[in-house]
Formats: sequence, C-alpha cells, structure tokens
Amino acid sequence: MPREIITLQLGQCGNQIGMEFWKQLCLEHGISPEGILEEFATEGTDRKDVFFYQADDEHYIPRSVLLDLEPRVINSIMNSPYANLYNPENIYLSKHGGGAGNNWASGYSQAERLYDEIFDIIDREADGSDSLEGFVICHSIAGGTGSGMGSYILERLNDRFPKKLIQTYSVFPNVDEISDVVVQPYNSLLTLTRLTQNADCVVVLDNTALNRIAADRLHIETPTFAQVNQLVSTVMSTSTTTLRYPGYMNNDLIGLIASLIPTPRLHFLMTGYTPLTTDSQVANVRKTTVLDVMRRLLQPKNMMVSTPVHRQANHCYISILNIIQGEVDPTQVHKSLQRIRERKLAQFIPWGPASIQVALSRKSPYVQTSHRVSGLMLANHTSISHLFERILRQYDKLRKREAFMDQFKKENIFRENLDEFDNCRETVQHLVDEYQAATRRDYLSWGTQQAPSADRI
Amino acid sequence: MSSRLTGDGNTAGSLLQKLCCKLTGLCDVVRRGREDDAASFAELHRKLQSQGVLKNRWAILHLLLSLCGTGQVTPRSFLGSSLFGHHLTSHVTSTPFNPPQRDLAATGSLSETVTGGTTGAGYLSHQSPATNISSGISSIRGNSSVEGLTSVPQTFVPSTLGLPQTSWRDTQSYKVDSKTSLKEETAIVPRSSRMIATQQQLKALSHRGENTSCEIPEWELLKDVIYAFQGIDGKWIKFDSTRDGYRIDYKAGIPKATRHLISKLAECGWLYNKVRIYVESRSADKAFGLVGQSFCAALHEELTEYYRLIAVLEAQLQQEQDQGISDGEGLTLRRLVVWTFDPLLRLKTLAALVDICKGKKGGALASSIFSYMQHGDPYVRGLIKHTLTLVSQPIYATLMRWVYDGELEDTYHEFFVASDPTVKNDRLWHDKYSLRKSMIPSFLSFDQAGRILLTGKSINFLRQVCQNRTPIKDRESAMALNMKDAESMLVQDLETSFQKHMDAVYSQTSLHLLEVLHTQYKFMDHLKAMRRYLLLGQGDFIRHLMDLLEEDLAKPATNLYLHNLNGILETAIRATNAQYDDADILKRLDVRLLEVSPGDTGWDVFSLDYHVDGPIRTVFTPECMIMYLRVFNFLWRAKRMEYILALIWKNQISHARWLKSIPELSGVLHQCHLLGCEMVHFIQQVQYYINFEVLECSWDELLRKVREARDLDHIIAAHQVFLDMILCRCLLDEKSRDILTQLRTIFDLIIQFESAQDKFYQAANEELEVRRRYEQIRQKRTNQGEWAVTDAEEQEEKERITTFLRNIIPSTRAQMTVLAQSYNDMVQRFLIMVAAHPDVSLGFLSFRLDFNQHYKVKEPNMRSPLMSLQQRMHHV
Repeated sequence: MPREIITLQLGQCGNQIGMEFWKQLCLEHGISPEGILEEFATEGTDRKDVFFYQADDEHYIPRSVLLDLEPRVINSIMNSPYANLYNPENIYLSKHGGGAGNNWASGYSQAERLYDEIFDIIDREADGSDSLEGFVICHSIAGGTGSGMGSYILERLNDRFPKKLIQTYSVFPNVDEISDVVVQPYNSLLTLTRLTQNADCVVVLDNTALNRIAADRLHIETPTFAQVNQLVSTVMSTSTTTLRYPGYMNNDLIGLIASLIPTPRLHFLMTGYTPLTTDSQVANVRKTTVLDVMRRLLQPKNMMVSTPVHRQANHCYISILNIIQGEVDPTQVHKSLQRIRERKLAQFIPWGPASIQVALSRKSPYVQTSHRVSGLMLANHTSISHLFERILRQYDKLRKREAFMDQFKKENIFRENLDEFDNCRETVQHLVDEYQAATRRDYLSWGTQQAPSADRI
Repeated sequence: MSSRLTGDGNTAGSLLQKLCCKLTGLCDVVRRGREDDAASFAELHRKLQSQGVLKNRWAILHLLLSLCGTGQVTPRSFLGSSLFGHHLTSHVTSTPFNPPQRDLAATGSLSETVTGGTTGAGYLSHQSPATNISSGISSIRGNSSVEGLTSVPQTFVPSTLGLPQTSWRDTQSYKVDSKTSLKEETAIVPRSSRMIATQQQLKALSHRGENTSCEIPEWELLKDVIYAFQGIDGKWIKFDSTRDGYRIDYKAGIPKATRHLISKLAECGWLYNKVRIYVESRSADKAFGLVGQSFCAALHEELTEYYRLIAVLEAQLQQEQDQGISDGEGLTLRRLVVWTFDPLLRLKTLAALVDICKGKKGGALASSIFSYMQHGDPYVRGLIKHTLTLVSQPIYATLMRWVYDGELEDTYHEFFVASDPTVKNDRLWHDKYSLRKSMIPSFLSFDQAGRILLTGKSINFLRQVCQNRTPIKDRESAMALNMKDAESMLVQDLETSFQKHMDAVYSQTSLHLLEVLHTQYKFMDHLKAMRRYLLLGQGDFIRHLMDLLEEDLAKPATNLYLHNLNGILETAIRATNAQYDDADILKRLDVRLLEVSPGDTGWDVFSLDYHVDGPIRTVFTPECMIMYLRVFNFLWRAKRMEYILALIWKNQISHARWLKSIPELSGVLHQCHLLGCEMVHFIQQVQYYINFEVLECSWDELLRKVREARDLDHIIAAHQVFLDMILCRCLLDEKSRDILTQLRTIFDLIIQFESAQDKFYQAANEELEVRRRYEQIRQKRTNQGEWAVTDAEEQEEKERITTFLRNIIPSTRAQMTVLAQSYNDMVQRFLIMVAAHPDVSLGFLSFRLDFNQHYKVKEPNMRSPLMSLQQRMHHV
C-alpha cells in the first residue's frame, strides 16, 4: 500500500498523545485493541494501510515507533488493553531508564548515543512500506526526551530520508501555570529551532489553549491529561481522515499540507475543532450546518493555540483548510464560503491569493457522535508568531541571568560554548520576523532584502 | 272514472282501456326493453284517468282511439308496421341511446338552432309513449301526446297535423338555407341532398289528396324509390353519374312536389351507395388493416340493418300491391319520408365517417372517427361511439398484447408503436421502438401513448436484453382486473379506469425493470465504479496509478505499449483500496490509448476505460462512454497538475533546507516559492471547484434522481443530465473552448515552471557538490598536516563562486519574473473569461480562485466583470 506514514512517539507526552491517537484510529477502523478487525468492520472502504500494516496472522499493527528514556508511560501502555496492539520490536526504552531529566541537552545527547538502535527500528519500519510518504512525530517541546531526542531525530531523519515528509504534532507548554520544568524556555527554543529547520509541517498543540478549551468549552475545572489528550487525538485523527478515507482530493499528506504552506519556513499550523465534547458530556441539541461549523472554526475561542488575536490587527490567515465530516450537502459549501467572505470573517494575506479550502471527508461508521456535522480547521496564521515571541521572551529572561546553564554545559553540544543558544535564538527570531513580514504586502520581496543578514553560516 | 254512457255503449273508462290496450299492444316490444318508457306511459295513463278538468273526456278518448286506428287500417298493415317498428327498434338498440329520442329530437335540435324554441315540442316528444310505436307514426302521434304531458288536450286537435308540418318545413327550409354551411361544418348533410324545395312546394305537398292526381301511380313510384334505396335504378328514378345524384325522369308525369319528395328520399340511396362502395372496395383490400376491417364490419352491420328496413318496406309494398289496397292508408311517399328519417340520419353520419376516413387506416382512422364524438346530437354520438368501439377493438387488443406481453402484432402498421426489426439488442431501448405519431388515436393522450410504449418496451427489454423472464409482481392481479373492453379507452373524460389501469401496468413493469437492473445487473455499482475510476473518485488508486505511470507517460505516445500499461494498472489496483472492489467491476477496468497526433506524449493519449455490456449499456451508451473519457482526460490533466505542484513544493521544501549554505540564492528561492504557492493555490481551487461544484453536486443530484426514477428513461435522462452538467462545468462544451485553452496554457506554464525550477535546483546542487568536494580536499589536506589550500586555489574558488552566482542568480530571477508575469496575465485573463461566461456555475470557480480578491486588487480592470459576477451570484 503506497504512501504509508510512520508515527514516532517520543517521550512522555508524545507517547501519551500517540496512544490516544491509536485508540481513536482503532475505533474508527473497527480494529480491536488486540489489532484484530472486528466482525462488523470487514466491509470497509477505508484505507487502514496508511497507518497500519497487516502481520502474517492478519493482525493490524500500527506503523508506530515508541521511544522513551524513562519507562513510566510506556509501561502504562503495556499494561493497557492496547498492549498487544504494537509491534514489541518497535518499542524502545532506554536501558538505564533514568530519563532526560527535563533537559533538552540530555535528551539530545542520549539520542545521539542511541542512534544506531533507534534508526535500526526506523529503517526496518521504513523498509516495510511500499512507498513511504513520511513521518509523523508526536512530542512536546518543553520536556527533555520529546524535545531533545526529538530534535536529534528530526535532524537525522532529514539526512537519512531527505525526500520524506516530516510532520510533527508538537505540544507547546502551558504558560498559564508555573511549570516544574525550569529550563522549559531553553528546551522550547532549542526544539523550536529544529522544528523550523528540519520539519516540513508542525501542527502546534498549545497546552495553554487546550487547557483553556477544556475549562471554558467543556466546563472541566481542572482538566486531566487524558481529557486534554483526547482533544489532541481528535485533532490528529480528523486531520488524517482524508488520507484514510480516499476521495477525489487530499489523499496524500503532501497534497494536504502543500496548499497550507506557501513558503518552506512558514509551516506552523494551528488547529481548531468544533463541536467539542467529551465522553461524559451530552451535546447540546442543535442542528449544525456547514456554515455553523465553518463560522465557529474561525472563532478564536475554538482555536487550539493561544494567541492574542486582536492585539495586532494586521495578522492574517495565510491559508485555511477545513476538514468537514458528517452529513453535508455539497451545495452548502459554496454558500458558506460566500457568507464568510461577505461578512469578512477571515482576514487573508495581502500578497497572494488565498482562500478557505474545504474538504468533505467521510466519517467512520463505527463511531457514533451526537453531531450531524463536525469540522477541523488547519490554519496557517501569522499570529502564531506570538507563541514564538513568548518563547523568545522567556528565554531572554533566563539567558540574561545565565540561569540553569550548568546542566546544559555538561552535554557535548554545549561543552565548548553556548553558540548553539545564540544560533537558535536567531533562527527563531528570523521565523518571527518572517511571519510578521507575511502580514505585509512587501513580503514578495522579503527574501531579497534579508539575504545578506541571513549569511551566518 | 266517468260513468256516463255513450251511444256506442262505451264508457270513457272502457274507451281509455281500449286505447291503452292498443298502445300497449303496439309498444310491448319496446316496453320490454324500456321500463322507463313504460313508467312514463303509466304516468300518462294515470293523468288521463284522473284529469278532472277534462270536459269531453269520452270524445277525446274516442278521438284518440280512432287516431290509433289510422296507423293500421287493416290488421295486416298493423302487423306490417309493427314488424317494421320491431325492426327499427332492434336496429336502434344497437346504439345504447334512447330510441324515442331519435325521430324528432334530431329535427328539433337542428331546427332549434334556426327557429329558436318554436319546435320545442319536437324535443319533448320522446317522452311520449306513443312515439315508441314506430318512427313512422310517432312523428304525428308523438306531437299529439306532447300536449298531453304538459297541458290539457284541447290544444291537441288543431295541432295534430299542423305541428309536424311546420316543424318539417322549418327543418327543410333550414336545410335549404344553410345547406352549404352545414355541410362544411358537420358534413352530416351530404352534397347529394338536392332539396331545392320552396315553401310553396312544401305547402302543396302538405295536402295528401294531390298524391292521387299524379299520372304515375304512387306505388310504382314507391317501388322505384325502394329500388333507389338499394342503389338500383328504377323505372323513373335513375342514377345520373354526371350530376352524381338520383334523377327523376323529367318526362314522367310527376308533380313537382312529389318530385321533390322523391329526390329527398333518393338521398338515402345515394348515401347507401357511397357507404356500400367504400365497404366493398375496402373489404377486399388486405393491406387495409384490422382497424379498417373493423370499420368496414361496423359499416356493414349498419347496412344490414338498412337492408332489413328495405326488406320490410318492400314486403309491405308487395302486400299492399297484392291485395290491391291503395286507399291512401298504406305506404305513401310521405310516410316513407318520415320512416326513413332515422335511417337517413344514420346513413348521413356513416357517409360522413366514410368521407373523413378516406385514405386513413389504423389509429389515424380511429382518431378521425373519435373527432365526431363531440357531436352535439346524442343520437349521432351514440352511433359514432358504437362504431368507434368496434373500430378501436383491434387497437385495444394490440395494446393489451403489447402492454402485457410486449408482443407487437401489427402486420399493417396500424398501431402507434412501431418496431424496427433491424435494431440490435444493445440499442433496443433507444431505437427499436418508436411512436408512430400519426397512429396515436386521439382518445389517448400523447403522454399515455408514451407510457404505453415504455411499458411494452420495458417487457421486451427485460426479455431480450436482461434475459429476465421472472413474472412481474402484481401482474396477474392486474391482468385479472375487471377490464372493460375498448370502450374504456374512449370514455376517459368520464371515468379514469383505463388511465388508472395503464398507469398501474406501467409502473409495475417499469419498477420491475428497475429492480432487475439494480439487483441482477448492479446498476448502482457500475455507476459508482464510473465515479471511482473514470471520474477519479478512488483517490488513492489514481494517485498510485499516476506515480507508477509517470515514467511511461513522459515518453512519446507512439512508444507506449498497452500491455505494459495494463500491467501497471493491475499493480495499481492490487496496491490500493481498488483491490477490494468487486471482481466483475475490476475486470471491466481497462487502459485505452486515444488517437495519437504528432508530438503527443503519453499524458495526452492515456485514458482509463470501463467496459460495459448487456442491459447497463443502455444507460452507459458508447456516446456516454466517450463523454466519460473526455471528462477523464480533463480530470487526469488537472490531477497531474496537482501532483506536479506537490512535487514542486516538495522540491522547494527540501532545497530550501539544502541551499541554506548558499544564502545568496535565498532571493531566487523566495521568488520560486511565491510563484509556486500561487500555482498551488490556483490548481487546488480548480480541484476543489471540480470536486464540489462539478462532481459532488451533480452526483448528489444524480443519486436523488436515480432513487426517484420510475422508469428506465428517467434514469437515462438523469444520467445524461449528469454528464452534460459535468462536461459543461469542466469547460468541455463548445462555448467554453477558449476558456479551456486558456486553462491549458496555465497548465503549460506550470510545467514550464517545473522544468525551470528543476534546472535551477540542478545547477545549485552541482554548485553544492563542487563546494563540498573543495571542502573535502581542504579537510583532507588539513588532516594530512598540509596547508589547506593555496592562495591561488582559494582565489580560484572565490572567482568560481562569483561567476556561478553572477550566472545563475540574474538569469534565474529574470526567468522567474517572466514566468510569474505571464502566469499572472494568464490567470487574470482566465478570470475575466470565466466571469464573462454565461454559465453561472463557473462563477463559483472564479469566486474560489479570487476568494481574498487578490487579483481584483491587482488588476483594477477586472473589477467590473467580477463585480457583475458577484452581483449575479447574489441572485443565485
């Protein structure tokens, strides 16, 4: 089966959301926790082979690699009903099990040391697919393993598989609560740099916004990891529906993201989902139409990225893709687009053509939802630069005091000097600048003016 | 009851009794069939008995009784007239209408149009029991009892003789006056009615005594008249072919009035001749067909009745002659006129039918007769209906055979369904059967005829094409339904049983056909297969197929080999979700190479194909398949652009990473990125437009229509609309040719951009390689402890780099600028062309392409067409 996608789950957070993602996929494809196709699901026209492969005994096995430096989360997976779903050879736990201590440099260095073992798994998995489309990485950017190891793997994947796409689902830290990870700004900055340079598409999952959505929209006072992760898995599974239920369009990852990402660096996507419910909650009974869904998707409160939207009025959408599922009358799509344009609900870039793309996708027949229509928005919006600016500000605060540098200096990469930090700061700053430039008409000539200053290698 | 005795010893009561006996004796034949007449007679009887105001009851009754006698002077003559009456009535009962109406009602209705209500008596006369006796006597007696119905009989005596005469005169004068116009209008009175009567002559005629004064005895004339009735020349009355009419020997001593009377009577003969000749000439004609033969048979039946009348008249005349009775109480010309009034009307009607049916046959003949069904005279209408029922019997029989068994037994091409035996099974539905418009009887609507055609066609289609002989559900019960004869077809304005029945048979047959098509021949599966494969709905399969074919299709079209391509198709099927499709469907999927024109690459000629056979071929006709292939070609090209752009994008992403080490190139790269993203946007929006506005919406519509379809024609039509709509919205129709060309130009630019960018990347990659090697050498030397590079070498390298940059950057930039400019121009022009296109649905395309009004802002000229477009879309 062509165009397979291999999922890499890195670290505590990555494995948690990864597990939720596979749970959701199993449900949607009618695959039991043991990987056996349920009897009711044999007649499917869905494509299971993008994310699963079939073992000799007809078991469906996720094309997934689970990596962690400490055993807690992976052990909990191995004690869950889904223990037998994964290929045990694809689960790698660092032998000493001490973790990365929330230190990017530690994660990075350990990954460097474990390179052969990790890439044995990845190469084997890649060889097992007919024509690999790319990798999907789940991780957080704030901790140690997901960020450090993730950064290292990103760089190496680029070298090893230069023609394969790399998409990441990156969890950004919650800024509303005091983090127990003091070096979080360092970790974030260093990871963000790799995301900028080595990933092709980054779906930003902002913990700040996710918690806020859980609290405000789902009325959960203190959302648990599981509840937040369910939001994430919904986003992940929905954003892959067009790959799993083939139709006229958007049948491959590249087609899906090519139209969202106009220039290589502006590849950070925000997501929005509506209507939001958790299992425990009964949906309010309301007839949802395509227009409702598309309008709600444009509302900031449904966005899973926390950016002060109104602060700078000239921020704008570079591109939007709405994946709409459910009973949709195709004639409604045009009407909804018309209404959105009339009401000027979305502000677009001034330097090129842009529009809302709408993909109608089939819904799994095995998952019952209370909503007639639901929608996911993947949007490239310039205001995401606020998130990066926030990281830069926090980094600058720490860096000014040279705080907590000792842990970093212990590792190879920082042993000689801290140039890495400066380079990363520059890269991220450059990214912020480019996003801001994209709000202006003169973005067309942006590269030319910047060319000399970019000369830093 | 009166108890006064009279000289004759007869009481009024006994007189009445006698009178009643006479009447009942006379009309018992009639009464047998006509209870209502008997009832009205009883009513009259009762009235007469209870009439208190009647002064001279006895006198009146006596008069009535004696009047009774005038009709039958002798028992024999009474017998004769009753016999005549009997024949007449039985003759009359062949039509379902009230026989009493016939004699004067016709006259009355005719004269009423001229004289107003003066002869209302004629209308009423039918209620009189006396009129039942016979057509001959009743015209006199009927008038007498008319008064009895409504008023006292005092008025009766004077009106006895006067009334019919005036009514006759009125009628005749009317005929004289409006002879021509009447002929034009209703053709009831044929040309031959040469009644050049004047009022004076009629007045003279009204005295019976004159008859005796003629030189030729009346019985001889009567004999001649009866000959003439049979179309035989008599002694005095001969047929004159030059004048096309009967002529009385002018030398004969016949008074003018009598002559006139005779020529009036001779009309019967003329009409008879006309009908007879028609029947004789047609009966022999085998090609005249069943309907024609039925018509002849109906005419013949009428003529037989007519023969009977003549036989009676002849018998009576003979009798009178034998017994030598000619005291004026027997058969007279005058009486003959009255007696033949009815047959004359029938003959006139028949002759008129013969006239309009000349040269016609089958359904057309029935239509012609049906056009007379609106005749105002119920008597004539009755006759026509009777005839038409007989005539349409064969049509009805054929129709039933057709509708139930699909068999068409129509040797003479009379039925309105025509069959072309040369048509093969695959075109059976479309071409084999057709409506013969001229043969649709006018009592069937065009709609009905169409549905009847469909019903039989469906049966044939089921049997011959679908090879399905399972009985149709509910069919038996429908056949067993109490179906009346052909008459039900004719009276559709009165009752709907025929319509209902035909509708039921139609829907049962059609639904059965659809069911067979859906279940046995999996119509929906094939339709979906068309969408999945020919309309690229199976995205993963199409994507993989294109990946696999890429290399082959880049070759010149002449270097392609079908078997290679078929192998690739197989591989693509097996690797994707297409493998789960029905084996029968996959078997039909095939590769087809279109006609190669010089310079074509594989991309231009490659096409998927889908083989259809059997019944579904009726929907997916070769014409439809060609439309599918054209759409496939368009979608395939658009898809290819999508993939090329995905490739371009992928290259941009990777090269942006690799070429970071040559920062001087970032400007060029940015330029490429921006042009690329504009193209991606364009193609993506075109694809979304195709997906939603073209495919999804039309498909939804098609599915809805197929679901609601009541017969195969509905499905065929819906499918055709579906294809037409797609073709039109994909710019494949005639009026969009320029826009399509423009779109192709844009596609070409994208390919140009791809190759330009590739060339640039290639040069950049080579440069990277050179730098890497230079670096390697430097590294190696350093490791060996030598000087890394000499100054000269370093200088050389620097110059090389400068030359490279000086060569590549300006030229690429210029090339990209030109490309971007012409691309922009093309898109602008495309948008303007789309905006000017008459089809509103294309507005959706330009709406999508310029959603954020980027092009509108850039090109103020576009504002006007786009503005008008938006306004137009507001109305949608």
